[in-house]
Formats: sequence, C-alpha cells, structure tokens
Amino acid sequence: MRVSKGALLVGIVLLVPFVIELRTALSWFGIEITVVESALVGLALAVAITAWALWPPNEDGEAADRS
Amino acid sequence: MRNAYVDQFPAEARVVKSAFWSSFLALAIGGIFGLVQALHRTDVLRFIDSTDYYTVLTAHGVLLAITFTIFFLVGIFTWAVTTSLDRGVVDIRFTWSWYVMMVTGTVLVAVAIFSGFLEEPPSILGSELYADVLFTFYSPLQAHPIFYIGLVLFVVGTWLAGFDWFRTWWAWRDENADERIPLPTFMVLTTTLFWYICTLGVALSILAFLLPWSLGIVDSVNPLLTRTLFWYFGHAVVYFWLMPTYVMWYIMLPKLSGGKLFSDPLARVVFVLFLLLSTPLGIHHQYLDPGIAEGYKFIAMTNTMFLLLPSLLTAFTVVASMEHGARQRGGEGYLGWLTALPWRDPVFTGMALAGLMFAAAGFSGMINAGMNINYLVHNTWWVVGHFHLTVGTAVALTFMAAAYWFIPQVTGKELWSRSVALGQVLLWFVGMTFMSNAMHRSGLFGMPRRTAEPQYQNFDFEPAVGTVAEMDAQVALGAVLLVVSLVLFLLNMVLTSFNGTSDSIPDNTYAGTLSGPEDAPEILDNLKLWTAIAVVLVIFAYTLPLASIVESGGLFGPGIDGRQLSLGADLEPALETLREVVA
Repeated sequence: MRVSKGALLVGIVLLVPFVIELRTALSWFGIEITVVESALVGLALAVAITAWALWPPNEDGEAADRS
Repeated sequence: MRNAYVDQFPAEARVVKSAFWSSFLALAIGGIFGLVQALHRTDVLRFIDSTDYYTVLTAHGVLLAITFTIFFLVGIFTWAVTTSLDRGVVDIRFTWSWYVMMVTGTVLVAVAIFSGFLEEPPSILGSELYADVLFTFYSPLQAHPIFYIGLVLFVVGTWLAGFDWFRTWWAWRDENADERIPLPTFMVLTTTLFWYICTLGVALSILAFLLPWSLGIVDSVNPLLTRTLFWYFGHAVVYFWLMPTYVMWYIMLPKLSGGKLFSDPLARVVFVLFLLLSTPLGIHHQYLDPGIAEGYKFIAMTNTMFLLLPSLLTAFTVVASMEHGARQRGGEGYLGWLTALPWRDPVFTGMALAGLMFAAAGFSGMINAGMNINYLVHNTWWVVGHFHLTVGTAVALTFMAAAYWFIPQVTGKELWSRSVALGQVLLWFVGMTFMSNAMHRSGLFGMPRRTAEPQYQNFDFEPAVGTVAEMDAQVALGAVLLVVSLVLFLLNMVLTSFNGTSDSIPDNTYAGTLSGPEDAPEILDNLKLWTAIAVVLVIFAYTLPLASIVESGGLFGPGIDGRQLSLGADLEPALETLREVVA
C-alpha cells in the first residue's frame, strides 16, 4: 500500500464534504446534477483513491500501520 | 512501571473521572434530544408535540453547550494544572466541593427544564416549575427561579474551580519563584481570567434582574439590557469551550504526531489575545437588535475580526507542529508528510478532523461577524450550522477523541476498542458534514432557526440548488449518523470502565517544545497586566452601550417609575456627545 489503512480511510472520509459541495459548486457554472449523480461521482472518486492507495504495493503503508 | 495520571495523582484522578462522566451523561441526553429535534423539524419523524419542541431544544442547548462542555473543561484543566506543575491540588476536599456545587446546579437546572414535559408541572415557590427559555435564557422568556438558582450554583462552582487552579499555581510558585509558568497552566489561568470577567455579566443579569423577576420581586425587566448582559457572557463562553480544545491541539496533537510543539511563545501570545478580546465583542450577536447604535456594533465587529488573529496563529502553530511530528516519523515532500501521520490513532484523527472542521467554522463565523452580511443569515439555520461546526465538532469531537486518551489515564484501564473509536470519530465527521452543510445552505435562503415547524402555507423557500426536501433529508441523515457515532462513543467508554486495570497505559506526558518558554518575553506571564488591559477593553466596549440602553429603557423596563437610571446633570451632555460620535 502507498499509505496506511488509517490514512486511506481518512482520505475517503475527507471526500464527503467535497462531494456534497460539488453540486453547489457546479451549479455556478450552470451544471446541475442530482443527488444520485453526486453519490456516483463520490463513489468513483473513492474507488480511484483506493486503487491508487493499493497499487502498486510497497511497504510504506504497512510500516505506517504498525507504527 | 506504569506512570499514568491515576498513578501520579490518584485523588485528583477521581475528581477528573467524575467530571468526565458528568459530561458524558449530559452528552448522551443532549445528543439524543438533538436527533429528536432534527427529525421533528424536518418532518421526517414526529413523536412529540410541537409545543414540547422548545423544552427539547432548551435541554439540548443547556446540556450540550453548558454542561457537557464545562464539565469536560474542568476535568481537562485540573489534569493540565496538576500534570504541568507536577503537584496535586492544595486541598482535595475543596476540589470536590466545587464539583459537587456544579452537579447540584446542573440537577436544579435539569429538573426545571424537564418539568416542561409534564402535563401539569408542580407549583413551587408560588409558580409553575418550567424553563422553556432556550440556551440563551434572556427575557422576555421567563423560567422558574430554580432554573436561575441552578445556573448560579453551576457558575459559582466554576469560579471556585478557577480559584482552585490559581491557588495550586500559587503554591507551586512559592517553591519555584524564578520559573516560568508551565504552558498548560498558563493556558488554564488565562482562560480562567476571562471566564471571571465574562461571567460577571451573566451573574448580574441573573441576580439583579431575572431571578428577582421570576420571584415576583420586580414586575418587569428591560429585555434589551438582559439580552446585552447575556451576550456579554454569551460569546466569551464560546471561547471558554474552545480553550480546552486549543489546549489539546497545542499540547497533545504534536505529541501524538510524533513531534514537539512548534512554539511555546506563540501559544502564550494566542492565549493572551483570547484573554484580551474574548469579552468586548458580544454585541456582534445583536446586530439586528434595535436600541443599540450602529457605532457600538461596529466596534464589536472590529474586535471580533481581531480575534481571527489568534485562531490563524493556532492553525499555523498546530499544523507546523504536526508537520514536524510527521517528518520525525519519516514523512517527506511538500504534502507527502501528511500520509506519515498516525491516522490509525483515534485520538489523533479525531482531533485533527475537529481542527479541519474548525477551519470551515471560522469562515462561516466571519460571515456571522460581518455586520452587513450578517443581516442575510441572522436567526437562520445558517447560524445553527455554524455552531455545530464549532462547539458541535471542533469542541465535541476533540473532547471525545481526548477521552480515548484520558479515560485510560484516570482509570488505569485500557481502551475497549481503538478500531471502534476510529470509526466513531470518522462517523462524527461524516454526520456533521451532512447536517451542517444542509443547515448552512438552508440559512442562505432564509430558513429560520428555533422553530418546530418551518413549513409555511402559501410560501415556498427557494434553494439555489436542490430542494428543501433534499436538505431536510440531509439534515436528518446527518443527525442519525451523529447519534450512531455518539452511541459508539458511549459504548466504548462504558465497556472501557468494565475492563480490568492494565499495565500498558501510556505515561502521563504532554508535548515538548521546539521553541520553549525561554524564548518567550517574560511580560507574557504578567497576568495582572493582561487582566487589567482586558478589563479596560471591556469598559470601552460596554460602558456607553449599557448606559444608553438603561437610559432609554430603564433598568426594569421603560416607564417603570422609580427604576430609571438617572445620570448626573454634568454627565448627560458628555454622554450625548460621545453617542453622536459613535453613532
């Protein structure tokens, strides 16, 4: 893992405010998305972050988890 | 050999533990009432009468904003003083006495509030036992005398606690005459000093006006005067909650990060600024109050904006300390060091996320504090969203995270589950994000606060994005997540208390410093000087507004014969001139 499991979890949690605010921010540019679309964007970002954190594997994350 | 707080100060540990459990009890009841309110006013689930909503709201506000926060505060401050001075309190019986006084006050207040749920509340002292006066409890809402007496006992209890911390320091100073005040004790003493200054306002309001009014000794009060005296106290109390949070961020977060506090002198400057500026700005809560000249409100706004400085200094110092810790743990790069922080530790993660939320709260707070833009959001749900980020997250989440470190320290028992604790602090962050975001956005289109039924006939709110129903659902979802988080926290605390004692409790220590007290000018420790300046600033900010309010509305209301404040003949023209200048 590139980061510890704890850091990955916190990273995903930190997506929540950005995803929630995304609707408001996009509306300034005339783009209106629904709640479901917001949730799908959030899910895609969470998957992307998880994939980044898990691949390619190295020892850093495991070491951080143990410390 | 184990060296936890309970091993060093077993007698004090019992008081601290009692204070923490008192705060947890208030948190449990107040938190559940929060869910009841959220579900009711969003019309998701209603099982109380709308008239009872205000009893629930009062209990929620008082139990969380006063009881939960301040009981936890006295626990942390007692720990901070004894740990940093490396000595116990002077007389543990005195320490127990202020704790018992605070508990007694809380019980009286709670009895008065909870009687509001009864169909026929009992009549005591000639009036019905009742206190649906909300957290702010100023007139024209009137509570039963027992409510005010309870508040007085609670506040006097905190005054005695402050005296206890001071005399512990005085005893230490007699033996360490040339030593600088240890930073945690310095933080406690400066906070206590502005607490003394600000609570004079609410003491005057209760003892001179509200209590005699509720007892029937006087027929009426001047509502604007009691509101102003409340807010004289009411904003400083925000910093009173916040200062133990700052104590945790300054002396625990750096240690948990694996490093040291970046600057002891900067921390002292921050606490001195809070001593100076916490009180002379309460009028910013009264921007829409008629009867206070705009000039006075402008002064309050200016003082409020000055208070951004210590908060920004804190953001810099705490983040710099965390970065130092992360680099000690092998973190590298401009932002890569963030991944080296101990995110698996619920104590660290809870406090760090609380600090992040506080940054957002600072931005919405600036909008509240700006006179012109405040008119847009005044008395709307925006304000509720704001203080759920401050007291509801920056303070509450830091306290809960701190409890995961403190409860093992004061009991000698290992935390039941660190994984559940981590999940709990993350869930709180997510729940509050949902709830507070929707509250802020609702406030922007005028959704009012403090109402059981914000659904109006022949009128539709017009959100910029989404619908009112979506925002209500978001609030309800957030409130449910928060209560689940709260249950997990309480479960962890209860099960920890059933654990056996452990030898693997960490030592009772706090963060060292990269730049220590030797780098701080000695004048920073001159508490008399800072207190004197703080008092002068309060006199500047409040003398003319209060004199003006009393002159126009009397001490006990306009037209109440024999109660009008009479200014001397030679003072009147001077006051008039000053008023014209300010207005």
